Amino acid sequence: MANIVVCYKWVLDEQDIKVNPGNLALDTSRAKSKISDYDRNAIEEAVLLNEKDGHKVTGLTFGVAGAKQSLKDALSRGPAEAVWVNDPVAAEADAFVTANVLAGALKKVGNYDVIICGEGAADTYAQQVGPRLAAVLGIPAITFVNQMSIEGDKVVATRKLGDCTETVTASFPVVVTVLPEINKPRIPSLKQVLGASKKPVTEIKLADLGLNPDDLKRKTTVKSLKGYAMTRKNVIYKDGSTAEKVAKLVAELAKEGAL
Amino acid sequence: MAGIWVYSEDVALVKQLLTIGREVAGTLNKPVAALTLSEADAADLAAETVYVLKGQNPWPESYVQAIADLAAKEAPDVIFVGATPRGKDLAAKLASILKAGLVTEAFKVSVENGAIETERMMYGGLAVCTEILQGLSLVTIPPRQYEPAAAGKGNVVTIDAATDVPVSVSNVCPIIREGADLASAEKVICVGRGLGKEDDLKIARDLAAAVGGEVGCTRSIAEDYHWLPAETYIGLSGVKVKPVLYLSMGVSGQVQHVAGIRDSKIIVGIDMNENALIFEAADYGIVGDLYDVVPALTEAIKQAK
Ligand SMILES: Cc1cc2nc3c(=O)[nH]c(=O)nc-3n(C[C@H](O)[C@H](O)[C@H](O)COP(=O)(O)OP(=O)(O)OC[C@H]3O[C@@H](n4cnc5c(N)ncnc54)[C@H](O)[C@@H]3O)c2cc1C
Ligand SMILES: Nc1ncnc2c1ncn2[C@@H]1O[C@H](COP(=O)(O)O)[C@@H](O)[C@H]1O
Repeated sequence: MANIVVCYKWVLDEQDIKVNPGNLALDTSRAKSKISDYDRNAIEEAVLLNEKDGHKVTGLTFGVAGAKQSLKDALSRGPAEAVWVNDPVAAEADAFVTANVLAGALKKVGNYDVIICGEGAADTYAQQVGPRLAAVLGIPAITFVNQMSIEGDKVVATRKLGDCTETVTASFPVVVTVLPEINKPRIPSLKQVLGASKKPVTEIKLADLGLNPDDLKRKTTVKSLKGYAMTRKNVIYKDGSTAEKVAKLVAELAKEGAL
Repeated sequence: MAGIWVYSEDVALVKQLLTIGREVAGTLNKPVAALTLSEADAADLAAETVYVLKGQNPWPESYVQAIADLAAKEAPDVIFVGATPRGKDLAAKLASILKAGLVTEAFKVSVENGAIETERMMYGGLAVCTEILQGLSLVTIPPRQYEPAAAGKGNVVTIDAATDVPVSVSNVCPIIREGADLASAEKVICVGRGLGKEDDLKIARDLAAAVGGEVGCTRSIAEDYHWLPAETYIGLSGVKVKPVLYLSMGVSGQVQHVAGIRDSKIIVGIDMNENALIFEAADYGIVGDLYDVVPALTEAIKQAK
């Protein structure tokens, strides 16, 4: 039996973020949060491995006070327990800081054999935290995985890289980052949602991890974060018959030299 | 030697990175070094120094410690790494060992007031984050963002690289590309979930044939329905296309998809829902049922030619 820790991030739902067309400022005041999309695949994979061979699955997140809401959601997806590092630093953290904190939490909790991350978070899509975490812990990382199994004290995983696939085998402990195509996360049942509140949660304060202040300072300075400016013609043919609309479009495309 | 370094396991990408590397180096008045894994590739790289990392292991990821050791010794200001999957994996581990910052897939790199600045997407492409690099930093840069630099001749330095890694790699096999090479296609016809069934792909293929283009799709079509290979889905986590004409049918235009089409010259959307986000991202659009509109469009284009 392996101890599987699955790392998930509680992120703003980008569909609720509005861009001010004038100054391109982001309005996040109405945005709800969600478990980062690909982290749902990571949780599902851990739970599938458990259902197959019987392992222990723990969810781990580093987030601000609001991330408390994520715990029930994560636990309803199948992990037996959750660990939450609660600190406002999470709001400003880059992958360097996040990997240091997650590594600190893993060392504190102690037992970890397989650590599963998503390929990239829905907000940053930095694709860094998994391999960085492995490097901080001094263990191997197998990234871009679309198929994995646990065989004894080893992980055997298939990586999908632009032009080829390859199989990588590594002994525990090991970090694996999964692609969204690895599985289809299930929707938690009502029973699972109700059961989630009974599962144990450990809250850790950042101060208890004994990290060096330098480990908690992000590496780049953010100069600005602005909406992407869309500058397109937006000529939309709505009225008239199909033939009329098609004729207008073809005429414009011909003029543009796009045909 | 402080300066600008470029690395990729793919020499074609090293040449592209040298274009931005030389530009930044010129502004900052610093030398450029290129890192490569193959002696044969080292000969015509336009960098002052070309480091050839020579080790026993054919797995590119196993060179990370050797590159970190060299960087710790030579103290470059910035390392540009080609944003292939292998490059992104190596860059993250390298940044971690060097305790350095790393910007993933910058679409713009410039020098402002003597400091390197980068721009990259956030929130699935909804936002742009501009960052100022401080101290030793890494930046990954997507393939084909820059034209390759002209050939040059550098001082070739061969480094004996230790490449021991605690993993074993097997079954390295090429993915058979069933799909077209969308990244370089001139015309792209894209299908989304508005398509009712797999057989109806014919509607898109007929239009693609009429305009002389390739068929791509949204993630849902490739990963939920498996109607087209995963290599043909367009967007943030899929391929980025830059055709003269991108035309979609039954694609809602969620931000993660649009992030992959923004470099298209002309964007056309065909969708039943007049409030679909694709119309905000499009130059031209037709509100209507794709099953009516697309066959009529295919005929009209054939007539027009
Ligand atoms: C981190 C992350 C990364 C992602 N990366 C990508 C990516 O790289 N690429 C990608 O594509 N997606 C990506 N997605 C998913 C993306 O958010 C959308 O879910 C997806 O693009 C939607 O695909 P779709 O437009 O085919 O389907 P839908 O959103 O379901 O849209 C279907 C459209 O078809 C229209 N329609 C239905 N019937 C007809 C008809 N008969 N005629 C005309 N129109 C019709 C509907 O009005 C609707 O607008 C990502 C998501 C996340 C969270
Ligand atoms: N704050 C966090 N808490 C827990 N896991 C995280 C956190 N941030 C990132 N991760 C994990 O690292 C992956 C990659 O994140 P990123 O490098 O930001 O794209 C995510 O899919 C998560 O699995």
